[in-house]
Amino acid sequence: MIWVETIVNGVLYGGLYGLLGVGLALIVGVMRVVNLSHGEFIVLSAFIGVSLLGVFPWIHPLVLLLPVAVIAFGLGFALQAVLINRVVTRPDPFAAILLTFGVAVVMRNLMVEVYGADLRHLQAGRLAQASTGIGDLHVGVLPLLILALSIALFTALQLLLTRTRFGRIVRATADHRDVVRLMGVNPGRVYNLVMGLSLALASVAGMLLAIRASFSPYSGVERLLVAFEVVVLGGLGSFWGAMFGGIALGVAELVGLRLDPNAGPLYAHLLFLVGVLLRPNGLFRVRA
Amino acid sequence: MTLLDVQALDAFYGDFQALFGVSLHVEAGETVALIGANGAGKTTFLRSLVGLIDHRRGDIRFAGESITGEPAERISRLGLSLVPEGRLLFPSLNVEENLLMGALNQRPGAWNLARVYQLFPILRERRRQSPNALSGGQQHMVAIGRALMSNPKLLLCDEISLGLAPLVVDQIYESLGHIRAEGASIVLVEQDVKRAAGAADRVYCLLKGRVTLHGQARGLGLEQLSRAYFGT
Amino acid sequence: MSGGPRRGYVPWSIVALGGLAIVAAPWVIGEGALRFLSEAMLMLAMAQMWNLLAGYAGLVSMGQQVFVGLGAYSLFFASISLNIAPFWVLPVAPLVCAVVAAIVALFMFRLREAYFAIGTWVFSEVVSLLVSKTDRLGGERGVGLPTARLIDPRWLEPLTFWISAAIAIAAVFGTYALLRSRVGLGLMTVRDNDVAAASIGVDVWRNRFIAFVIAAAGCGLAGAVSFTATLYVAPGFAFDPNWVVAMMIIVIIGGIGTLEGPIVGVIIYFALREALTVFFGLSAGWYLIGLGIVAIAAILFEPDGLWPLLRGHLGGDWLSVRREPPAPPRIATVTPAVEGVRSSASGLGATPGDR
Repeated sequence: MIWVETIVNGVLYGGLYGLLGVGLALIVGVMRVVNLSHGEFIVLSAFIGVSLLGVFPWIHPLVLLLPVAVIAFGLGFALQAVLINRVVTRPDPFAAILLTFGVAVVMRNLMVEVYGADLRHLQAGRLAQASTGIGDLHVGVLPLLILALSIALFTALQLLLTRTRFGRIVRATADHRDVVRLMGVNPGRVYNLVMGLSLALASVAGMLLAIRASFSPYSGVERLLVAFEVVVLGGLGSFWGAMFGGIALGVAELVGLRLDPNAGPLYAHLLFLVGVLLRPNGLFRVRA
Repeated sequence: MTLLDVQALDAFYGDFQALFGVSLHVEAGETVALIGANGAGKTTFLRSLVGLIDHRRGDIRFAGESITGEPAERISRLGLSLVPEGRLLFPSLNVEENLLMGALNQRPGAWNLARVYQLFPILRERRRQSPNALSGGQQHMVAIGRALMSNPKLLLCDEISLGLAPLVVDQIYESLGHIRAEGASIVLVEQDVKRAAGAADRVYCLLKGRVTLHGQARGLGLEQLSRAYFGT
Repeated sequence: MSGGPRRGYVPWSIVALGGLAIVAAPWVIGEGALRFLSEAMLMLAMAQMWNLLAGYAGLVSMGQQVFVGLGAYSLFFASISLNIAPFWVLPVAPLVCAVVAAIVALFMFRLREAYFAIGTWVFSEVVSLLVSKTDRLGGERGVGLPTARLIDPRWLEPLTFWISAAIAIAAVFGTYALLRSRVGLGLMTVRDNDVAAASIGVDVWRNRFIAFVIAAAGCGLAGAVSFTATLYVAPGFAFDPNWVVAMMIIVIIGGIGTLEGPIVGVIIYFALREALTVFFGLSAGWYLIGLGIVAIAAILFEPDGLWPLLRGHLGGDWLSVRREPPAPPRIATVTPAVEGVRSSASGLGATPGDR
């Protein structure tokens, strides 16, 4: 029973990992850029949540998801417009990686200076401990909520991309950056919006993760690696693949922790390495 | 009224000069053919017109307005539409979505989705399919339809007969008649001299980035044309 | 006039003077300064290795710190278990790293570009976690170096200094020699255009593999010496991503894809660090922020780094690995010019740009 519970909880948190990765998958698919500061923005969102809670202590953290997401959207827009758009047209594929890595270094150390290096936690009160039962099976309420939210956001993203005019424009820009200009589309502006969206999604994941686990300015690295593993396991650019990749990592991590309490993310990383070895194009490639 | 007036256009890819002092004009309602061998600069010329070549010199006037330094996004709103070489359809979008992309800058006029489907009925059947599932000729139809959706004053067609069977090319060229009837002027870039000259009012010939011949389509002899085309 | 690598401009007088200075240094300058210079030279060696990968082989590795740590750990444990003074077992470090690199390449090379970069990072984290969990390797707390007692304490700093200098020199000139060889030419064609390189028969995979193994060995050696000097190693420090952050910043600011670039980069890196921490009294975090901002500015405005700007002022290349194309055969004169078509390698012509 404990094992089934562990696996079920792994699936539920896996939804969160999927959410961590889908923002990254989005920009990889649209502009072929890997944002190495993705992890730092995830952590920054949590810190913004902490700051907001300091100002409005009576508000429940889950309510803050929306305002933090809006702030993150703005930050992503600015990041793209000011910095990344200048290198995205260069033939050199590494310029964007190195640039965002520089941004990550600056952000990480700025957060240390501003917030200190101590571990923090977003208190969700009783919700974090509550669990509900299906027969003999005990499942946390918070993980269930997280999974539901993840699926909702994934679905919304999918609908946005496939059913709306904006989604059409985004997909066309991803296909042929030059040709869309012939139709009046400014690719740079599309990228700004997509990056904003990417970080907004990341911020939701960041807040939810901060409720579940403690974080510090140095946690960005781990978040980035998880997000990245999700993207690769899911098959680069595939969204539902990212969801399944996230679930696989979540299960691997929780099962691993039950076997080996000091492992940290080790088993998730090992799953990734094995996945790369066996199927470098993604374990869960789903036609987007 | 002179719809398009190009004076002494130079165009560069980095340090490499592709066009040397090209002058060309298109009157409203005309069909002008631009012929030349591979690498003569025909595609470069069209790309310069729509703003996709960063480094250009000279004077380009469209409907009286100077568009020489303008970026592609802005030029697209003025009524100049390109059917690109190689079609360059969006593989992540289905046929209908590709057509709708062309309508982003829609000016008032006769062309809309229904009208394009009327012109190319096979596209309505296949409208939810990916462009990759279509034959070469059908893909050309999508590309032309996409360019028509904005109701351009001037339609630039880059090698719309390339790689197609003669019967299919007939179909495509027949559609040009309908397009003309709705009031658009056309620039036809082709390697197939007979086709282009047959469909056009006037012909220009490019060789290594320079205009080597210009005249009424009917008045041009074969020897004259091949000299201008090959440079012999 | 035959084709082939252009002569680099490194006058012997400077080389001799430099050698003398290095040998004499421990008697002339204080221990603090010696330690600083040792650190700088080891950093130079590591930066050259990262530059070899990113600037010449087209491999951006963000997990290079794993070899720094593995080199240190293998040295420590070789020295401890064999009960020999650490410097005698130095060769173990590059050897272990080379073997690990060879194995890692087998699956990491399936990933391209950015994915390779992060994949190597994941591998580094895995190794770090595994070491942390292994009590026999000291676990999270790490291990000291008791066999350091076998070295006369008066000689520890000077020896560290001389070995660091030797490693730095080997890194710079070894890379130079490598790039002037056939393997080096192969590497540069791969970097410039790997599809074209493959089409003329250059073994892309093999050339990258060689570069990756060498870079791992170099970082391992430098890491081993670095931690020997501190007499202590722990996973948090050994596998700290800040190693590769420093390597990257040095190479980006100095000039990626040139041999002189990392030298310039190291000077700037340490000058900035000392200026920010000593002169302005800022904490370590702020100097990393400052360096990060400089690196971002470099990528945006001077992606080729500072070296190309300085070349003009300093009278040309010090260590050029540019090739000359063979001179066209002179038909009008009597002497045949067959020298110019010596080998297919030189027929490829000069690489574009200052690389």
